[in-house]
Amino acid sequence: MASASGSVLAKTIANRSKRTIYRTPLIPRPVLVGGLFVIALIGAYPYYGTNAYVLSLLGKFLCYAIFALSIDLIWGFTGILSLGQAVYFGLGAYFIALSLKLNYALTHPTRYGGKIPDFMEWNGLTSVPHFMQPLMNLKTAVVCALIVPTLLALLFGVITFKRHIYGVYCAVITLAESLILQEFIIEYQAYTGGFNGITDYSNYVSPRFLWFILAVAIIFFLGARLLTHSKAGTVLKSIRDNDLRAEFLGYNVANYRIFVFCVSSFMAAAAGAMYAAWVGLVSFLDTGPVFSIEAVIWTAVGGRGTIVGPFVGTFLVKGAEFFLSGVLAEWWQILVGGLFIFVVLAMPDGIVGAVARWGARRRLALDNIARKDELKKYYFQLRLRSERSAQPEKEAP
Amino acid sequence: MASLLDVKGLTVKVSGYTILENLDFSIEENELRVLLGPNGAGKTTLICMITGQYKPYAGSISFAGQDITGWPPDAIFQKGIGRKFQVPNLFETLSVFDNVMVSLKGRRKVFSTLFQTLSAEDSDRIWEALEFVGLADKANEPADTLSHGERQWLELAMLIASDPKLLLLDEPTTGMSEEGKRRTAELIERIARSRTVLLVEHDMHIVRQIAKRVTVLHQGQRLAEGTLAEVMNNPAVREVYLGKRRPQ
Repeated sequence: MASASGSVLAKTIANRSKRTIYRTPLIPRPVLVGGLFVIALIGAYPYYGTNAYVLSLLGKFLCYAIFALSIDLIWGFTGILSLGQAVYFGLGAYFIALSLKLNYALTHPTRYGGKIPDFMEWNGLTSVPHFMQPLMNLKTAVVCALIVPTLLALLFGVITFKRHIYGVYCAVITLAESLILQEFIIEYQAYTGGFNGITDYSNYVSPRFLWFILAVAIIFFLGARLLTHSKAGTVLKSIRDNDLRAEFLGYNVANYRIFVFCVSSFMAAAAGAMYAAWVGLVSFLDTGPVFSIEAVIWTAVGGRGTIVGPFVGTFLVKGAEFFLSGVLAEWWQILVGGLFIFVVLAMPDGIVGAVARWGARRRLALDNIARKDELKKYYFQLRLRSERSAQPEKEAP
Repeated sequence: MASLLDVKGLTVKVSGYTILENLDFSIEENELRVLLGPNGAGKTTLICMITGQYKPYAGSISFAGQDITGWPPDAIFQKGIGRKFQVPNLFETLSVFDNVMVSLKGRRKVFSTLFQTLSAEDSDRIWEALEFVGLADKANEPADTLSHGERQWLELAMLIASDPKLLLLDEPTTGMSEEGKRRTAELIERIARSRTVLLVEHDMHIVRQIAKRVTVLHQGQRLAEGTLAEVMNNPAVREVYLGKRRPQ
């Protein structure tokens, strides 16, 4: 009898420990609480804050954070290190900046009376070139800013990933892509503003626009979370871990890479588009490798492969820059580089990754303790029963 | 009778060296075939060729009546050929459960996995595979915390869940204890009840335990084929391979 009820207990323990799978919730509670707090803090800034500079920084940081998120998707989740992701950010930014500048020129003629952007006039153009006419319409420009970079990413993905080019080679190729675009922008200055970039088209800093950027950031955050929590997200992670195994399990690894690269580039382009309108200044630096690498550092510091990490990392590093770069001036870049090395060596998962890992380990440990406790109870009961049944036998003779 | 897998005149050359030379090889449906051969005989190369990792220099490979020569690995897998690597190849940061989930037979396209949710039946099949190899207790743990033997079993579980018609096992007992080897041999026997299995194995105890038909490769060519007893009594085989290790 004792053994029968004992085996039932053992079975329930076994079943409970066996058939449960722990999944990180779509939005873990600490992230939800912290996230709501930060959203409220940023969203309500126009009501309690008076510093216009801080307001402009908030919108800028949000755009940077979305950009870092786009890098997290390809680097943190799929293992594609792109040092040229700024290409897509920059393209998005240039489309919007050009459109705004063309419209701005209509109402603000240049010194010589031309109703075209000043940089075109300096370069001998007398009217807006035909192929740029559609950009006069802001809506067309927005569509272009989102679609063109995504299509370019698709083209790039087909060329590289279909030929099994990834890893370091992919990083180098994206770097080159970035440099080519920079050269192109500087060379064709009549159309791009060249070395000076596109400036003086006024900006659109306003509480409403801040809320818009915030909303886009939240949507992208949720979208990225949903993507990485889907089966496709698990496949992406498996490709990051071991692309050979994934391929020999029937996955077309190239297609997954292309897909996530396009999603990421779309996000980067959206961030760039909003950035151009918010800041009111776009230059070739916004498409360059240095900017990409900076965003890689933000992602690494915050925690790659976590979705939350890029936001944390961007606000921490850029926030620290805001406070410290005035004091440290040129040393700031060296400090950021040092920070990157420190994070890679000491916290390969970044801040958020380290916290999440700690949480997971704690949960596993607690689970093991609970399991051991139940086993202990079970053995204790068994012993009690056996002692009880043993005692009368002793007394009998 | 058409064979499940038919390799004809397969030749593989790598930078001037001939790894496989004009190899003919075939497996019938529901067969458990053991592939033997000394180091460098071309066993793993043959598996690489069948699964599409490299393209052959000459010859053809057909599977279930279809020519699959030169197909990419993912297409060959979807045709029904699963492969276990010599060194366990796992998704290190994913949990044991997720490793099997990714492997589970089913949709493979980007846009179909994007919206796919795990059905109760799928979940049951994953648990079944995990229980089959005895890893259900560790379902939540990341794969990189497993011991070497457990890693081998996890890869077996992944392949069981992916339900291939033909399973290629490349030395699945490497680095295992005697107890682990015995357990693995049992698992392979159970797997082979409903599937075609090609096993590359060095351990003669295991080969003796499960082998029905054996093919011996030597220097990229087929040296002998038959039952284990036939092969072991073949003078050519004894000379190149078994002669060095007298059977007890």
